[in-house]
Amino acid sequence: MSPKKIACILACILLLQSYLSAQEKLNIKFGKITAADFDLSKNKIDSGAAAVIIADIGNTSFEGNSKGDFTLVFKRFKRIKILSKRGFDAASEEISLYNDGQNGEKLAEVKGSTFNLENGNIVETKLDDKSVFTDKVDKNYSDKKFTMPGVKEGSIVDIAYTIKSDYYNALRSWNFQGEYPCLWSEYEVVVPQFFHYIFLTQGDQHFFIDASKDVAANYTVRESGGTESDDVYHINSTATDRRWVMKDVPVLNDESFVTTLKNYVSRIQFQLHYIQFTETSERRDVLGNYFKASEKLMKDEDFGAALNNDNGWMNSEINSITAGSASSLEKMQKIYTYIRDHFTCTDHWGIYTKTSLKNVFKAKSGNIAEINLLLVAMLRHENIEADPVLLSTRDHGYTNDMYPLMYKFNYVICTAKDNNKNYLLDASWPKLGFNKLNDECYNGGARMINAEHPYIINLSPDSLKESKITSVMIINDEKGGGFLSGSYGSTFGNIESYNLREKISKKSEDDYFKNIKSYNPDYNIVNTSIDSLTQFEMPAKISYDFDFKIAADEDILYFNPMMSEGLKENPFKSAERKYPVEMPYIMDETYVFNMEIPNGYIVDELPKSAKVLLNGNDGYFEYLIVKNETNVQLRSRIKLNKANFNPDDYNTLRNFFADIVKKQSEQIVFKKKK
Amino acid sequence: MKNFIGFIVVSLPLALSAQTYSVASIPDSLKKNADVVKRNEEITIEIKSPAKALINTRIAYTVLNEDGNEHGDYIAYYDKFVSVNSVSGTLYDQNGKEIKHVKKKDMQDFSGTGDENLITDARYKINRFYYRVYPYTVQYEEEDEINGIRNFEDWIPQNAHRMAVQQSKYVIIAPKNYMIRYKEFNFSQPPVITENGDKRTYTWQISNLPAKLTESLAPSFVTLTPHVLIAPSDFEAEGYAGNMSTWKNFGAFFYQLTKSRDALPDNVKKEVHELTDNLKTQKEKIAALYNYLQKNTRYVSIQFGIGGWQPFDATYVSTKKYGDCKALSNFMVALLKEAGIDGKYVIIRAGKNAQQIVSDFSESQFNHVICCVPLLKDTVWLECTDHELPAGYLSSFTADRWGLLVDQSGGTLVHTPKYGVNDNLQIRRISATLNGDGNLSAFINTNYKAEQQDELEMDLEYRSKDELLKKLKSEIDLPTYDVTKFDYKEQKNNIPPSIDESIELTANNYAQVSGKRLFINPNILNRSETKLKTEEERKYPIELRSEYKDVDTVEIKVPSGYQPEAFPADTKIESKFGKYFCSVKITADKILYYRYREQYSGEFPAADYTDLVNYYDKIYKSDRSKIVLVKKE
Repeated sequence: MSPKKIACILACILLLQSYLSAQEKLNIKFGKITAADFDLSKNKIDSGAAAVIIADIGNTSFEGNSKGDFTLVFKRFKRIKILSKRGFDAASEEISLYNDGQNGEKLAEVKGSTFNLENGNIVETKLDDKSVFTDKVDKNYSDKKFTMPGVKEGSIVDIAYTIKSDYYNALRSWNFQGEYPCLWSEYEVVVPQFFHYIFLTQGDQHFFIDASKDVAANYTVRESGGTESDDVYHINSTATDRRWVMKDVPVLNDESFVTTLKNYVSRIQFQLHYIQFTETSERRDVLGNYFKASEKLMKDEDFGAALNNDNGWMNSEINSITAGSASSLEKMQKIYTYIRDHFTCTDHWGIYTKTSLKNVFKAKSGNIAEINLLLVAMLRHENIEADPVLLSTRDHGYTNDMYPLMYKFNYVICTAKDNNKNYLLDASWPKLGFNKLNDECYNGGARMINAEHPYIINLSPDSLKESKITSVMIINDEKGGGFLSGSYGSTFGNIESYNLREKISKKSEDDYFKNIKSYNPDYNIVNTSIDSLTQFEMPAKISYDFDFKIAADEDILYFNPMMSEGLKENPFKSAERKYPVEMPYIMDETYVFNMEIPNGYIVDELPKSAKVLLNGNDGYFEYLIVKNETNVQLRSRIKLNKANFNPDDYNTLRNFFADIVKKQSEQIVFKKKK
Repeated sequence: MKNFIGFIVVSLPLALSAQTYSVASIPDSLKKNADVVKRNEEITIEIKSPAKALINTRIAYTVLNEDGNEHGDYIAYYDKFVSVNSVSGTLYDQNGKEIKHVKKKDMQDFSGTGDENLITDARYKINRFYYRVYPYTVQYEEEDEINGIRNFEDWIPQNAHRMAVQQSKYVIIAPKNYMIRYKEFNFSQPPVITENGDKRTYTWQISNLPAKLTESLAPSFVTLTPHVLIAPSDFEAEGYAGNMSTWKNFGAFFYQLTKSRDALPDNVKKEVHELTDNLKTQKEKIAALYNYLQKNTRYVSIQFGIGGWQPFDATYVSTKKYGDCKALSNFMVALLKEAGIDGKYVIIRAGKNAQQIVSDFSESQFNHVICCVPLLKDTVWLECTDHELPAGYLSSFTADRWGLLVDQSGGTLVHTPKYGVNDNLQIRRISATLNGDGNLSAFINTNYKAEQQDELEMDLEYRSKDELLKKLKSEIDLPTYDVTKFDYKEQKNNIPPSIDESIELTANNYAQVSGKRLFINPNILNRSETKLKTEEERKYPIELRSEYKDVDTVEIKVPSGYQPEAFPADTKIESKFGKYFCSVKITADKILYYRYREQYSGEFPAADYTDLVNYYDKIYKSDRSKIVLVKKE
């Protein structure tokens, strides 16, 4: 429906009944300030805060524009008090504006003033227009940047600006929580009743005000009539005025093992759901559901349109790529390997293509969507069932399983089926194995893009097992003289194998072992090797032989059977925890040790065997050590059964690891035979 | 037919270049240790006038493996003084067959402002081929028009390690009466000079340089390879003309840029007099004004055109209360002047461990400005972008190096103070108690002085208490512990300044308990982390940059009922790199540990490398040796 029609219908709508509710307003206005405003001693502010946001007030409303449509008007006013030098950055503002050539965002107004209290008088320094700079970041983005003049410790800064945007699909979200503590954070949206948005709130802070009322709203929409006079529509309507306020919002602090703070920041986001002008008129669905979204994506020129084509341009090359395949699984593997080994991923962020798959094929490079959609296209070309999968990497935050919110996704992989077995493929990383994904992809709900069955694929870190087995064997060396010799072997889990391959490509294998040698100067390390360095589907294995000399004239020898493999520090340092612990995978580390007792010595004391359970069934640590006449044997295993833990379990988890660190540091004591 | 001939003529050079860029034509000696081979480089600079020049660059690399990929990318920088007339790139496969060609319009264009500046006029165009079938070759050509000369590109044929150079050429064409200045390093051939009409041409060339590997603690890579510094004599930018043939002349140019930018508004003048008129000594006045600067200004960087060299004036800084290093130093000089003190503007190359400037070649080798006040007996140095440093102390950011002092008599090189082994101190006392479970509680008092306090001083300025604690925790290398109390006191009255730190911490399982034994490392907090890789054949000299002294005294009260079973003997190392001494004494209920370390800076011959590895290894090991206590039976 055209905006013209909208306007016609709306002109007939009667003003709906509105109500007013008693609401608390903050008595604060740009530039209006008294000496008393400098005194914040009544407010509870974290003593470490470098600046405090006294008020951050945003408002989004709609206005008719001259393109026959609506424009979003976003107004913001911030009052900040700079408490210390560390807070000077709060006096700078960077406003990022997007423009696609036709539509865009514009900074309509900006003003700022700094207030200093000098000998009881308020001195104001105004921001001048010349000090608002434009930094054209790239083709689409421009930053408006300024820093306030006259700022020193104790200054109060008022900043206000207005942004006008053509993109009413993207109603600005609001973060109540930020880098500085905030005393009053308020957002108000006034939406004409024919636009229906859904609101998504998150975070652990509570609303002080969450109110809604209906207000009368008048819009004037113009449309250029070319040579004739412009069409002008006056729309008298009702708008819903929603207002949210949070008070005394603390700063969000980073903790280890959190996928991203984006999942925890207190904020509200919006998504246009549908447009409907009257109760009886047609409803234009914008958001839809995952079925509709999948259908739309598969028709989208910048996503799946090319996947349904015949793609005859790849005929000859794909024949040579898949030549000699005995099965469709082998074909799948060959196509995957071909793309992985011959293509470069230019950007691992985004879900849309920027050029045709044919061009991608020719240039041998593309973004994450282009690479893996090409993979889907090539598999389909060979009649292998394949679909794109959208996901959000861990650092990008969780997706929404209910609504098809595309901006919550930032990554594309491919799922393929053969012989009733499903495979997940990502051809964008040169060292990733077939049917393997990086741990960054394990972030919950991924979504298969298929109009008939847009399934959720749950990529939970709890399903990602990382098993490592290390074994050490030590015997008395034939050459005598207090020499012992041994062998070391360690088979890595998938993720560590991948990291090793990445590391070795940057530094040579030689350097890798040089480093190991430099940290074991008393050991003579020889016969070093790395297995499966280039077989990406296999776990990598490090091995070497070594010998070393004990001080054979000493009465007592001490020896840690963990060698240098023990856990040396607790990964959970902080004593308190606010958020869940989100480890990237399930850890399972086994260490096996077998040592011949040095000639001329006996075992005086062994560490005690132990087994520690984590919360009953969440995991365990065992340390089993035994000796006989000739040998000492140890088996140590840390095994977790899940990757995510509640904050309530934090102390148990921390103590569990403390026990491990303690146990693994214990030593065997050998005593000279008398 | 005409077209056909044209086709042949045009295709001939292409065919030749294709042949040139086949990988087969790279000698094996250049492939050894190389990730990339610079196939051909030609830089031609034609000076039209002191303000204008034309630069043509052609450069080709063959990337041999994935570690060489960064050289396959190309960036063309431009700003107010530099316009890119044309830039293009071509990708060839290993046989020299052209795969792709990109022009200026195909390249992405970005702002070069970066996070450290609020805004600048710097921009760049970038191309990446993202080609990953090795080996491959790229060739780029760029033509730049310079309107405003401040320097010339230096000739550094081998500007990266693991890069071999097949051929590189640098040509500079200037009017006969224009003096080109240059200085050669690791390169003995003078340029070939030819004359043509009223022009003179200088040409440097080099070929077949095998790839070099880096070595730890070596001097900066460029100083080890053949290169030539090249600089203007007369130059002009945005209407400001100068000459940089001598430091004196170059300084005169900067004086011209700063001159009459020192006017202060009346209210600031008044404040200057209120602050200083009643003070007796020059030093007190300097300190008071420096303190005023620190309280009333902050660092903000805005750079447009000549603004990269010219400070915002003192009035601007007075009202905005911000500026960059130039503007703040100029403002400081203006404040001093108002109080009747002759402060100087000093241009310098800042950075901890930055390479020293070439002091006998006057050109812009700088990136920072500070201020100094020469007094009768000594000089007071002022870093005008820091809020906390005491007047007279520079920190490792600008200490011990040459700077260009600028005043009405031109430029003079001056040397900033050096903080040595007896200044850079870390004196620590620990008093700790250990229980039978191996848990430790400790009181730790440390005094950090001069360069040993620099990082902490910045942390105290820029981190909140929570962040300080977080960093403190990340730096303490203990298994499971908690810092229960910490406090800092800055001692700014003496120069160099120092900081007193006091920490209380508890560390669970500090000592390892195995049955009846306790294993205790008496060196709780100061264990050397340095481990050098052994190198079969050391080529380059060794550079040790920092100089310091650490003294640790540790007293650990141990649980009763234990007796020593084993403890390390005293370690004593005296070498040209430093001194190290540590000893352990065990009394009835206490462990007394003492550690003394002096580290020297300096350049040492390559032959000393093995000794240095051993020196660090001994310290590393000694710092980790343990005492074993066993329960009395």
